Amino acid sequence: MNLNPFKRGGSTGTPAKFDRRAFIIEIRALIALAIIVIFFSLLSDKFLQYSNLVLMTRHVAMNAILAIGMLLVILNGGIDLSVGSIVGLSGVVAGYLMQGAPVPFTDQVAYPNIWAVLLISLIVGILFGWLNGLLIARLNIAPFIATLGMLYVARGFAKLITNGETFTKLDGQPNLGNTGFIDTFAAKPLGIPLPIWVMIAFAIAFSIILNRTAFGRWLYASGGNPRAAALTGVPVVKVNVRIYVLSGFCAAAVGVLFTADLHAAIPNMGEFSELNAIAAVVIGGTALSGGRGTIRGTLIGAFVIGFLVDGLVLIGVSVFWQETIKGAVIIVAVAVEEIQRILERRQKLKSAS
Amino acid sequence: MLRKYKVLAAAAAITLGLTGLAGCSSSDDSAGGGTIAIITVDPANPYWKAEVDTAVATATELGYETTVNAHGNDPAKQTQFIDAAISAGVKAIILDPAGADESVGAVQKATDAGIPVFLVNAEISAQGVAKAQIVSNNAQGATLGAQAWVEAMGGKGEYVELFGNPTDNNAKVRADAYHAVIDQIPGFKLLQKETANWDRAQGKAKMELMLQAHPNLKGVIAGNDEMALGAIEALRSAGKLDKVKVLGFDGNDDAVAAVIAGEMVATVLQPIVDGTKAAVNQAHAFLTDGTLPASEKQAIDCILITKENASGLKGFVLS
Repeated sequence: MNLNPFKRGGSTGTPAKFDRRAFIIEIRALIALAIIVIFFSLLSDKFLQYSNLVLMTRHVAMNAILAIGMLLVILNGGIDLSVGSIVGLSGVVAGYLMQGAPVPFTDQVAYPNIWAVLLISLIVGILFGWLNGLLIARLNIAPFIATLGMLYVARGFAKLITNGETFTKLDGQPNLGNTGFIDTFAAKPLGIPLPIWVMIAFAIAFSIILNRTAFGRWLYASGGNPRAAALTGVPVVKVNVRIYVLSGFCAAAVGVLFTADLHAAIPNMGEFSELNAIAAVVIGGTALSGGRGTIRGTLIGAFVIGFLVDGLVLIGVSVFWQETIKGAVIIVAVAVEEIQRILERRQKLKSAS
Repeated sequence: MLRKYKVLAAAAAITLGLTGLAGCSSSDDSAGGGTIAIITVDPANPYWKAEVDTAVATATELGYETTVNAHGNDPAKQTQFIDAAISAGVKAIILDPAGADESVGAVQKATDAGIPVFLVNAEISAQGVAKAQIVSNNAQGATLGAQAWVEAMGGKGEYVELFGNPTDNNAKVRADAYHAVIDQIPGFKLLQKETANWDRAQGKAKMELMLQAHPNLKGVIAGNDEMALGAIEALRSAGKLDKVKVLGFDGNDDAVAAVIAGEMVATVLQPIVDGTKAAVNQAHAFLTDGTLPASEKQAIDCILITKENASGLKGFVLS
């Protein structure tokens, strides 16, 4: 099973071995984060204030949850472009159910309670993820194409459901027993907004899945070399479907959190957020070719992107520069790694000759 | 596999058939005045739905049949619908154009075929091709909004600005008109200007950060209602809703609710209903005795919406 030198956790189920390469990459992302924090705290005395750190971390959390799902997909050498649309769709589904959903073939209107609303919204995300997985794993459609198509399909459904409008009546009615959507999903247990708690919970849960379960080992193996993994008995098709399901699930969770946070279900919510999620995963040291990457690195990547974007707004940099700088940081973060790899190879050649 | 393709083909055929039917469902010339073709952008959006409903109602009242199509800002589709209207021999076309430059050719085509075109909501970059171009006066509306906001602020204060999509001309027109009013009053200070691309979620995120940077800000001017509503959500969770004055623009239903609740100082209604009515009436005048509107380019004034008149506004119609 030692086909992939970069995978974490051996086939025997031992905990992650020390991996010098992955360690250096993670350290590098941490250094980038440290530079960002120091830079902005020098320019603005507001940056390190507790309330601002909580605010920025809440912004980061939405992207980090998406990025965790995206990490699984990218670990397997895939890509999921549909997550932003699934955020919008599941948010709209939640909003639709809170307004009261007409039951087909009857003149009844259903007012599900908020836990049923949460469940149905999550199932919508899972369903679309599952469809992605079937298209990619069973029909062999390239992940880029399948999820690009689903990006439009899911967004189209979101607009169909709302008829292009925005759902804002999310408070429910006490006599129907469906109140508390905002209070529950935009709550602040211990003064920390719920999205941050969800990010922490997802990070722990998915770390365990990746490092301590058979599924995690299969994923690293099939991402590194799918053919070899299949030959050694890894159920590559099953793994491939499951990662898109999990990615859809993460996106749906963000959709519900976003709707509660915004106090409105907007059909174009989450547009382009798939790109931020991919950026976080890549900055966190994950290889787009698959097989290498960690939850920890991805979280650091999400913080790098989020703190950078928010910091630039906080110090009042022009909006055009904000986009340019964000793009440059993504490129530099990945380029440094590649340059280092080239230098290493040269050194090896030299010492060999 | 083959069966799947057959199903697909059938579905495609049905879709095409329906589109074709929708294009000519009521184009027979039996009624007194003939047919007026109405071509709009996207009736799923309440703003354009108001436009279509008004056009159909006004034309029907004047004794015309109508056809309705939506190009979704796609100039190629727009040309198809214009071609279809020409071959159906409609009496006039009411068009919300898909782009200022892109639409000149399509309008020219209809005019060459002897069919008068009346533009509503947006203009094209050529004059003398359409019979009328009726647009709402964004600068005048923004001036009204800024004046109401200045008054609510008590003539002074530190404020921030949420700017629309920087590549959209309306963002600049509205911002310039806001500043023409505000900048001549010495008591006002612009702390920060951020774009939120007309979007509510971005408006909220940007506002949250600006509240961190400037905790004592007193006002927000926004280029449209969606960004203003995002700012209001940020203020609500910061507990500062009663300390900060917010200005919006568009007059959509959520903004109206916010104005009534006292969360938004004012918004500005784009009179799409009046503009559309005027377009159909001018088409009717031209068809009856050849009268042309006094000028081709007509700017219709926007209406300020405050707590006093907000309750009468629904779906972009002020009763």
